[in-house]
Amino acid sequence: MKKMLRSHEFYLFLIIILISFVITMINPAFFTLDNLFSLLRTHSWEGILAVGFFLVLLSGGIDVSFTAVAVSCMYISVYTMLVTGINNIALAFTVAMVLGIIMGAINGVFIAIFEIPTLITTLGTLTAFHGALMSYAQWTTRTVISDPPSAVKEFGKINIFTITRSDGSTIGFSVFALIFIVVALGTWLMLKYTTLGRSIRAIGGNIEAARRAGFNIVRTQFFIYCYVGCLAGLAGLMFGTYIRYINPLFIVGSELTIIAAVVLGGASIMGGKGSIIGTVLGITMLTIIRTSFVLMKVPSYYERAVTGLIIIASVAITAYRERLSRRQARVIKVE
Amino acid sequence: MVIIKNKKILVLFGITVLSFIVMSILQPSIFLTLRNFQSLSVQIPDFGLLALAIYICMLTGGIDLSIVATANLSGIIAAYILFNYTNPGLSGMYNNLIIAIAIIVGLLVSIICGLVNGLLVTKAGITPILATLGTMGLYGGLGIIITKGLGITPLPDKFVAIGNGMFLKIPIPLYVFVFVFLLLALILNKTLFGFQTYMIGANPIAARFSGINVNSVLVRVYMTSGLLCGIAAIIMIAKAGSARSGYGAAFLLPAILVAVLGGTDPSGGFGSVTGMILALVLLQILQSGFNILGFSSFFKNVIWGGMLLIVMVLNFVGERLTQRMQFRRARLSNNRIDSK
Repeated sequence: MKKMLRSHEFYLFLIIILISFVITMINPAFFTLDNLFSLLRTHSWEGILAVGFFLVLLSGGIDVSFTAVAVSCMYISVYTMLVTGINNIALAFTVAMVLGIIMGAINGVFIAIFEIPTLITTLGTLTAFHGALMSYAQWTTRTVISDPPSAVKEFGKINIFTITRSDGSTIGFSVFALIFIVVALGTWLMLKYTTLGRSIRAIGGNIEAARRAGFNIVRTQFFIYCYVGCLAGLAGLMFGTYIRYINPLFIVGSELTIIAAVVLGGASIMGGKGSIIGTVLGITMLTIIRTSFVLMKVPSYYERAVTGLIIIASVAITAYRERLSRRQARVIKVE
Repeated sequence: MVIIKNKKILVLFGITVLSFIVMSILQPSIFLTLRNFQSLSVQIPDFGLLALAIYICMLTGGIDLSIVATANLSGIIAAYILFNYTNPGLSGMYNNLIIAIAIIVGLLVSIICGLVNGLLVTKAGITPILATLGTMGLYGGLGIIITKGLGITPLPDKFVAIGNGMFLKIPIPLYVFVFVFLLLALILNKTLFGFQTYMIGANPIAARFSGINVNSVLVRVYMTSGLLCGIAAIIMIAKAGSARSGYGAAFLLPAILVAVLGGTDPSGGFGSVTGMILALVLLQILQSGFNILGFSSFFKNVIWGGMLLIVMVLNFVGERLTQRMQFRRARLSNNRIDSK
């Protein structure tokens, strides 16, 4: 119990409560069900991306190409619907996730088989994927799909349940939020209760020790990057159904925000440390901060600087706690 | 190791010459003109300085993702001074002074940015990737806050002349770049500081135990990287005649590509400035050739990303081959000893 109270996640939870309190003081519109459900609807896709990135970070790597994968899958899946004329959202999601897995596998080949440093690989694939997508979009002459098929538009409007207020207006709990919860829960279960999940933490903790212990490094890394790709494809198409406007210039450029959310949640760059709860709390806090700019009348162009500061602060704190725990571990009390 | 280094550079040189020939054959009327060479040599300096900045950080086994953001911020602050304090109505002496102050302030800002990076990496113990990722956001964000997304323009003519002027038909920025590059090569190869940089990259723990003040050297490396970005910034805003918060955003990946292409080992300790310059020239030839051939700029990105990956794969394969050769040689020599 004491360990939980001292954990990074608990502090984060307290800070979120504190910030929410402050923001509600300044603008009571924040802590309404309307606003909260709306936040879930708008930002669940970022949460899914964060879960995927967290898995990569846990294994000791970095993947900056997930935004390119997301937008590519978004575009290609909707374009497939247009070209084949099949107005089925399940088809779109299948295409998006399969394409995501393929793109993730490309990353996996370079990282697992050729042992190229993860940052450099994914920087290369980010540029190559996005360049390929833009070239393809220009070649198909439908660079922007401003009117996606009705299945896409309809999916974005689905609500799991709605609450009717006294004045007759409704607030809906979006299907996006449900998908996010399912993904987060599923990933948590996989990490905690399967050998695959354990091997991810093992690789992140000490890759050489994991290799000697018998974990199959190549297979695990392949899985991680395919998983991230799949989630990115899912999140990308989700975003497309929400915005109902498919522009291949979207999503890319927001890598910093997702990375900030995950490191905020306590995941260590060295790998091996972190939790799904932390990631969820991290993306929650970051979303609250970003959206509260508008509520607190702060100009939106402060966002990038604040995100950078958050990354620096949270990584510094994580590094400090790591050094503290290492120093404490050196002290061995012999009775 | 020396043989491999030379071999890599030889291959690189061969590829550069080859691509030059190919481009010349494909479009001789446009490619082989003085105008084209002049435009090539205009694009090399600012990008080359950014690539050098990332190069020295890679030598220590780190990386600096904030090079473009640092350059942007320094450029914006210098442009701010230039825009608000120069007055065409006042004397030339006064304006020259303001220009000098603006340049110095810009360089100071970039050095401070580098200093912050260095402190985050050494004192706060953050890995360079995350530290510079954060500062990339911070510096870029500061640039956006100052400019509010707009551009600072126009800039005084005397200043713009630095970026666009020519001396003996060669653009001034190229002189600056060659001077800086020679100076850097001198520092890295002939001074203690340069030697220590290589040592830290090759083996940080051994470096510390041999008495090198790792923290001090690292901070100085990142400060130097910042300074290089600042010089690049001055050239960039002088060329463009304005400063905006998005400039050079597309330079980050090609800068890494150039460093890696030039034979730098991203895990630190090995690299050659000559190789990097060759890679720089190669990239410019390819880029200019692509432009002339009408490739879209997005397709260029595919080539850059693909090239980076191919080079890394070739490096990996090459290392494995040399490992196997060494292993076989060792086994052979052992057999010879045993059979005696």
